[in-house]
Amino acid sequence: MLQAVALALLLLPAGGALVLAVTALSIPRAAVRLIGPGVVWLGFVATLILFADSLQNSTPHDFTYWTWIKSGSFTLPASLLVDRLSVFMCLVVTGVGGLIVTYAVGYMDHEGDASYARFFCYMDLFIFSMLLLVLAGNFVFLIMGWAMVGLSSYLLIGFYYWRYSAVIAARKAFVMNVIGDVGLILATFAIFAQYGQTTFAGVFAALPKSDGFWLEVIGFLLLVGAIAKSAQIPLHTWLPDAMEGPTPVSALIHAATMVTAGVYLIGRMHPIFDVAVWSHGAAALIGTVTALVAATIAIVQTDIKRVLAYSTMSQIGYMFLAVGIGAYGPGFFHLLSHAFFKALLFLGAGNVIHAMNDDQDMRRYGGLWGQMRTSSICFLAGSLSLAGIIPFVGFFSKDLVLGDTFSKPGAFPQALWVVGLVTAVLTAFYTGRMWWMAFWGSPSKERPVEHPHEAPPVMLVPVVILAVLTTVGGLLQVNALVPDGWALVSRFLSPVVGVVGWPPSPYDLPVTLGTLALAVLLFLAAYNFYGRPVWRPWSAAVPWLQRLLERKYYFDDLYDALFVRTMDGAASGGDKLLEEPVIEGLPTDVGIAARAGAGELSLTQSGYFRTYMLVFVGGAVTALVLILLVRATS
Amino acid sequence: MPDYGQIQVGAGTLDARLVLGLAFILFLLGAVGVLIRRNPIVILVCIELMLNAANLTLITFAAQLHNLEGQLFALMVMTVAAAEAVVGLAILVDIFRVRDLDDVDELSELKG
Amino acid sequence: MIVPQIVFWVMAVIAVIGGLGVIASRQPIRSVLSLVAVMLALSVIFLLLSAQFVFAVQVIVYAGAVMVLFLFVVALLGPMREQATRRLRFQWPLSILVVAVFGGFVYAEAQGIGFRAPDKVDLSVFGTVQQIAAGLFTTYLYPFELTSILLLVAAVGAIYLSRGGRTASEVRREEEEDDSPPRRGTRRGREDNVA
Repeated sequence: MLQAVALALLLLPAGGALVLAVTALSIPRAAVRLIGPGVVWLGFVATLILFADSLQNSTPHDFTYWTWIKSGSFTLPASLLVDRLSVFMCLVVTGVGGLIVTYAVGYMDHEGDASYARFFCYMDLFIFSMLLLVLAGNFVFLIMGWAMVGLSSYLLIGFYYWRYSAVIAARKAFVMNVIGDVGLILATFAIFAQYGQTTFAGVFAALPKSDGFWLEVIGFLLLVGAIAKSAQIPLHTWLPDAMEGPTPVSALIHAATMVTAGVYLIGRMHPIFDVAVWSHGAAALIGTVTALVAATIAIVQTDIKRVLAYSTMSQIGYMFLAVGIGAYGPGFFHLLSHAFFKALLFLGAGNVIHAMNDDQDMRRYGGLWGQMRTSSICFLAGSLSLAGIIPFVGFFSKDLVLGDTFSKPGAFPQALWVVGLVTAVLTAFYTGRMWWMAFWGSPSKERPVEHPHEAPPVMLVPVVILAVLTTVGGLLQVNALVPDGWALVSRFLSPVVGVVGWPPSPYDLPVTLGTLALAVLLFLAAYNFYGRPVWRPWSAAVPWLQRLLERKYYFDDLYDALFVRTMDGAASGGDKLLEEPVIEGLPTDVGIAARAGAGELSLTQSGYFRTYMLVFVGGAVTALVLILLVRATS
Repeated sequence: MPDYGQIQVGAGTLDARLVLGLAFILFLLGAVGVLIRRNPIVILVCIELMLNAANLTLITFAAQLHNLEGQLFALMVMTVAAAEAVVGLAILVDIFRVRDLDDVDELSELKG
Repeated sequence: MIVPQIVFWVMAVIAVIGGLGVIASRQPIRSVLSLVAVMLALSVIFLLLSAQFVFAVQVIVYAGAVMVLFLFVVALLGPMREQATRRLRFQWPLSILVVAVFGGFVYAEAQGIGFRAPDKVDLSVFGTVQQIAAGLFTTYLYPFELTSILLLVAAVGAIYLSRGGRTASEVRREEEEDDSPPRRGTRRGREDNVA
């Protein structure tokens, strides 16, 4: 029964995408509104069934539906692994995903019928791919889901395909994703070469107990995949550009789900990472560095979606930090909490963007608190959660991660903790900046819309729901504040990913409270710079720093010069040297030559009888001579 | 070895090689005429000349080999020559109805 | 003894002169008459070579009917003289070259070929009408009948072709009245100098 439910969970969004793709223009818009989010909500129901089962029964279910490949001693089953971790991820995907897709019904309403159906087709395709990714029971299906998620991301970023910037951004995202795909595929090859297994159960059973060269290689290759998908340095430059897609896309794919696939991967592969300590540590290091760098860049962004994009990058860095030091439970709790408040922030921003006639520049907002009260309240909840302020869920999850990092013995975790603390402070600052600049004060002179209207219910209700979840979500796991308090998420996931292996430090609570105080302080401090009628940007005093941050540490320029220009050069060179002369030229030249030859040959048809006779007789004579000569010499 | 090339003509002999040489010369003359002359009737006449030369060859060998088939063949050739001359001349007359023709080079519309 | 030789040589000379006349005469009537001379000379040589029936047929049918047809056509078509022309200037040298090559080659090949022994037949009846008839109506009946069909075909063809289309003046009148665009490559097209 559960096997069927799991399959239904996968096939429902796939079916939705297929139906929408085939019938896009022939069904009424109401049907699209029903099918698009409907299949996601049905998937949520299926997930709840699986969730209820997993609450009672913590053993994983390895469902094999059929044997896909059977070649000699190698078999590849079409299998789904339904355990607590995958069910957890499915809840996030279908639950938050359902809210976002429902929101999109209203947000995308101004599109034409074909575009509208296309949007929901792609969204359902994405949900299907993400579910396949988290439910896969072997590496091959994991890669399939992984790649299809990248494809959906490309399709959705480039949704407004008539815009050059959107197409370029989609291409950039896809190319960087493929780099990750290659890492993942090579890791699979290495795993198969070393251990001869492709299913998760098989691989984890066959792993060696001690670290080795190949295990580290596999770890690093997996890490490459995770980094690309989760937009960590150095494969991070695609995420801010991905904001070219519609806001629901940014909320779903680039905040709540796809970018967290890297975290899921590390969690799922924890038997590998627990042993391959170097790649494990690298994951934590990369995450922390990314968190800091992204936070610094977020401070100078003026586009509201870009601020949120960099903050996503930063928060995922925290998740990488958590799973990188072995605190898997807290890492996934932060994943869940981030899904709540980041989706909330994006959808709230969507409300504002929608009301502002698609203007995303925060400098032109101001004073929305008075005019869009509900959205502003929800956005405030999300902002405070992001800054890590009590009682919102962001506080509980982020400070749990920081606390566990602080508690872990060793110089390396301590160093990571310091960086994480600085990042948290910066996070509070830029979040405050965003809030004060966009929502407080008096309306900017350059406001595009004088009296923005609040969002319609279909867009407002999901936002409110997410705000509620953000506010009360902290109750799921309170052990950041109350050391012996309950930790529902960690406990839920512990049969799969284990528990945090070190006790909390005695200084944990004071440190947490101190972090909280700093966050509040910086959030309010941002008012000083941005909340007043006339701003005083902090960066006015250090223009070089502002330029560095605005150019995103010149990463984009570096990649452009190194890779993009080279490839463009190679492509245009190939076009000039190979395509035009040879591949196009050859058939064309053959045609020209044939015509010219025929033209020449047709001159022999002179029309003159005597010429024909002469040729005829001459030819006969020549033939006769040749024959007789041959006969004479042989 | 007796010279089989000698043909009995009554009380005397005639060397077959001489007759064949005559036929050869006539044939070559006819060939040159076909290629060079521009009047269509003369071209047909030269073709007839070549046919006659061929006939002479046939008859010569019939006489040398004492084989009647040569003569019968020559009769066939004559018949065919007659038929072909008739049709050729009819075509010429037809063309001549439409245009004044004394040069076969003018009939060059089927060019290119 | 030498009578056949003399007859042959005289006839040979007549034939060659006639042949030259055929190809070299300016007026076509003279070509036709030269051919008649050639045919008559050849018929005598046939007679020398024991081909009595063929001699008779050559004179009666070939020289007497076919050549008369040629004469009629020449008379019908009126005087035609070949003008000097500048077209196909290489035709003369090339033609003579080709024919010379052919001639030289055949001559070279023919050297060293000997005649084979003649069959044993009754020479007194060789070439007579009875012999020819016997051959035509028994062994070679099939080709004989086929030639009669061939003659029928030729006759039908000639009658059809001479049924009459338009005369030259009629064609010219029709062309002048014709308003449709000239077809490329035709005389009308060339006259208008359309590319």
